[in-house]
Amino acid sequence: MNIEPTELEKAIVLKVVGRMDAENADDFQQACERWIAQGARHLIADLDGLQYVSSMGLRAFLAVAQKLHSLSGSLILCGLHGLPRQVFEMTRLLSLFPVYDDVQQAIDTL
Amino acid sequence: MDSPFARLTLPARIDSVPAFHEFVRVGAESAGLEAPEMDWLDLVLEEILVNIARYAYQPGTGDMEVGYAVAQPRMLLVEISDRGNAFNPLASDPPVLGGGLADRPIGGLGVFLVKNIVGSLAYRREQDRNTVSFTFPGPNQAGA
Repeated sequence: MNIEPTELEKAIVLKVVGRMDAENADDFQQACERWIAQGARHLIADLDGLQYVSSMGLRAFLAVAQKLHSLSGSLILCGLHGLPRQVFEMTRLLSLFPVYDDVQQAIDTL
Repeated sequence: MDSPFARLTLPARIDSVPAFHEFVRVGAESAGLEAPEMDWLDLVLEEILVNIARYAYQPGTGDMEVGYAVAQPRMLLVEISDRGNAFNPLASDPPVLGGGLADRPIGGLGVFLVKNIVGSLAYRREQDRNTVSFTFPGPNQAGA
C-alpha cells in the first residue's frame, strides 16, 4: 500500500493505492493521525487505487473518522469501488462516511 | 489413502498471511476461480488467520496450517487449523451494525465478513486442534 498526501487549503487528500490489510492498516491510521495532530480537520481519502481492504483496514477508517468527528471534522471517502466498496456496504459502514465519486466533488463540499 | 488436501504450515504470525494467500491461490487457479474472486478468498483467509495469529497461542507461540482441496469445478474447500487454546470464532456475538459514527464499535467485523462471503462454514475441536472449514465461493457470489 502506498499513501500519497496532498495538502490543500481546506483539507488533506490522502491517495491510497494497493491493498490495506492487517500488516499495513496501522500505517494509514498513523498517517491520518499525524495530519490531525498538525491541525487538519478534514481528510479526503482518495480510494480509486485501493484494491483490497480487510477488517483491520475498516477499523483504521472508523477510528480516524471517529477521531475527526469528535473534533468537528470529517474523513471523506472518494472513489470507492470493487471489493473495498462492497466490504464497506456489507458491514454497513458506508452510510457513516461522506462518500463521493471523486476528490473534486469532495473538495467542493468543504 | 492420500489426503486430497494440499497443506502448508507456517508460524502463527500476521506476516505469514501473504504466503498462505499465495499458496491457496494456486488451488483457486486450478479450481478455475477468477482474479476478483481470489481477492475475496484472500480476505476470508486473512480474517481467520489474523485471529489465530493474535489470540490462539497467547501468551506463547505456535503454528497455523491451511489446507485446500478442489471440491468441484469452481469450488474450493479450505481448512484452517491451529493447536492453540480451544476457541470457536463462529460462536462470537454478531457485531453491532447500527447507530451513528460516534457510537459504532470498532472491531468484530472480521468473522462477520467471513460468514457473509463463504459457502458452508464450520468449526470443530478435535484433540488439541481448532479447525475452521469453509467452501468458497459462497452463494452470494461476492466479487462476481
